[in-house]
Amino acid sequence: MSKEIVVAVAGNPNTGKTTFVNAIAGTRLKVGNWPGVTVEKKEARLEVGDVKVRLVDLPGTYSLSPFSTEEIIARDFLVKERPDVVLNVVDATNLERNLYLTLQLIETGRPVVLVLNMYDEALKRGLRIEVEKLEKLLGIPVVPTVAVKGEGVREALETAVRIAGSVAKLDGHVSYGEEVEKAISEVEDWLLKKGSAVLGKYPTRWLAIKLLEGDQKVSEETGIRELPDLPMVKHLLSAHGELGEVLAEVRYGIASGIVRESVHKEDARPDLSEKLDRLFLNRYLGLPVFMAMMWLLFKLAFDLSSPFVDWLDGLVAGAFTETLAWGLYKLSAPEWFQSLVLDGIVAGVGTVAVFLPVIFAMMFLITFLEGSGYLARAAFVMDRAMHTVGLHGKSFIPLLLGFGCNVPAVYATRVLESRRDRVLTAFLAPLMSCGARLPVYVLFAGAFFGSRAGTVIWSLYMVGIGAALLLGAILQRLLFRGEATFFVMELPPYRLPRAKYLLVHTWEKTRHFVVKAGTYILAMSIAVWFLFHLPPGAKGLEESYLGRLSKAVAPVFSPLGFGNWEAAASLVTGFLAKEVVVSTMGEIYGLSSAEEDEIPQEFPSHSWGEVFKGLPLAFVEAGRNLLAGLYPVSLEPDEAEASLLSRIREVFTPLSAYAFMVFVLLYVPCMVVLAAFYMEFRSLRLTGLMLISHFALAYGLTYFLYQAGKLLGYGG
Amino acid sequence: MKLSEVSPGMKVKIIRLGQGFPALRKRLLDMGVLSGEPITVERVAPLGDPLEVKIKGYRLSLRKEEADEILVEVVS
Repeated sequence: MSKEIVVAVAGNPNTGKTTFVNAIAGTRLKVGNWPGVTVEKKEARLEVGDVKVRLVDLPGTYSLSPFSTEEIIARDFLVKERPDVVLNVVDATNLERNLYLTLQLIETGRPVVLVLNMYDEALKRGLRIEVEKLEKLLGIPVVPTVAVKGEGVREALETAVRIAGSVAKLDGHVSYGEEVEKAISEVEDWLLKKGSAVLGKYPTRWLAIKLLEGDQKVSEETGIRELPDLPMVKHLLSAHGELGEVLAEVRYGIASGIVRESVHKEDARPDLSEKLDRLFLNRYLGLPVFMAMMWLLFKLAFDLSSPFVDWLDGLVAGAFTETLAWGLYKLSAPEWFQSLVLDGIVAGVGTVAVFLPVIFAMMFLITFLEGSGYLARAAFVMDRAMHTVGLHGKSFIPLLLGFGCNVPAVYATRVLESRRDRVLTAFLAPLMSCGARLPVYVLFAGAFFGSRAGTVIWSLYMVGIGAALLLGAILQRLLFRGEATFFVMELPPYRLPRAKYLLVHTWEKTRHFVVKAGTYILAMSIAVWFLFHLPPGAKGLEESYLGRLSKAVAPVFSPLGFGNWEAAASLVTGFLAKEVVVSTMGEIYGLSSAEEDEIPQEFPSHSWGEVFKGLPLAFVEAGRNLLAGLYPVSLEPDEAEASLLSRIREVFTPLSAYAFMVFVLLYVPCMVVLAAFYMEFRSLRLTGLMLISHFALAYGLTYFLYQAGKLLGYGG
Repeated sequence: MKLSEVSPGMKVKIIRLGQGFPALRKRLLDMGVLSGEPITVERVAPLGDPLEVKIKGYRLSLRKEEADEILVEVVS
């Protein structure tokens, strides 16, 4: 029984590292988070021959400097957990910059295998790479691979297993030059003589280099703030001021030397990326092309998924619910239990289910944008506008998607690299007015503003954007003060992502939503069911806990213009999903009273038939939506709503109706967004802060609007 | 001159990086933005910022305020 060896996979972003890892581990990959941070951690357990392997995928980084969460994770793992071997995935078409990280990996003292990925692409570009020479110059094994086709992947892993645990013989292979090497050994000797306790924790050479570089994190961890008077160190310091730059130059010098000797450019082919960029990043066309791409993204994501949303809704609310009802009836379950299962649990499952197609479609498209290289271009085009409000160019995409649905918008913040940008964007995304708020606007604007309803609804979208700008400005001052953000970003070459790559990634993210967020959503649905149905024997909503709670909090909303318990109750249920505000009002005003569902006496085979027939129809419908363009939203209320309208007109005035709409837009993100946000950032503090800040902002803004409106004589 | 003042197509070489922002400086070094390195400005974004530059055979984008920290000279 051999012991398990740990294989770490490291590499730059955009090198096909993820594809490589998927090619090795496939379905055995477990996705989680690194402890305490929101960076995704992937690992898998495999067997190579009779050797057990634990494969750990480190975050993609350009360097091991301590300036981003990803870099700190990668280097801590390498230095503190000491994997038995490192697979370093590099882009063969851009070897020089990739080797910069390779050299830093070698510095950690772990055995390294260089995985020369995208080897076919390098050949296509006329690059001839002498693999054996590269091995000799670096002193480590080199394996050419084409991860998208699975070529060389197995060899790379076997090579890693073969050299695992061996002592990396780097000295004499990669030398940092006489002066720097001398300075490094001076520091090493000093450390050894000092016999400090930190020695056991770090590889000595690595520690010496980091101290020379003036690495702040290492100084903090070791308590070594200053180096003593060592002759060569002193000499270098007086010549250069600081050594961080010297070491970067030395590493790049070595990298370019290695490339010069082992890579030969046979003939320069015209670069496709350059041609595409001439269009996509064109001074005049760049922006219109970007807008067209975003319109397409939005349209594809929502139009394509909406027939499947309807289909799933039909499946859960129709056939599935009827079957359960029939089963419960057969088992003669008590009525309250039937209600709990059907109205509480099934409703919760339904909520998760109907989000699936949207999230799947959105994640598919975002993965495509990311994998193709256009996402970086979109950020390039939009950065100026987003930067003025303190966001990153890439923030635009999650925010745009927020207009369709806030939930995938939260997930889409993963395209951002820094945690600061991710959190800030996810904080603001729920202020984008999503599709679920529209029914509320349609009802109220239709009831009070007649022909001007369209303008009123448009103004609400603007209120959402304005609120986001305001909250963004406040948060940057409170939450992220002084945190530096850069836009130093690689524009990777354009590539056509493979279908398998797209599906694997899309599935991973969708699964995350169902499994992780789904649990919370279900729990909250059940909690709300209890609010509705308890205490036992309560007649109607007014006597339920929900009604009592609403009556208690209603006065809070008086200064906003809607201090009645009905409004308060619909706001409470609106937390489930904003469109529920409308149905709760309908229920309370006793108009579309919760239809007494007939308990089916027989197995609902008819409904299942509908479901099976419905699936192909959904595909047809999705295709038709693609061709048909964005369908206009109907502002005509139907018959049931018409009677609800007259009741609403008695309770609200135009001013208080507008105030109510603004409040519904802003007051809280719905529970699905909240669950997604919590699962993404794993922070109760941030989730709580989002709830409180959104509510405070909504209250403040609505108060101001309503009171100002009253003063201006718009009635109260 | 500063990299932010270089017009697209001009051939320049980096002289040194500003000392003002250590984190930015380190990030630039990591990306291969080193003194002595030739760098070209490929284009400016449609809204006037950021810039796209080519260095070490790959494309990098950076904001003008970041390019302010990179001092260059024209290569004749």
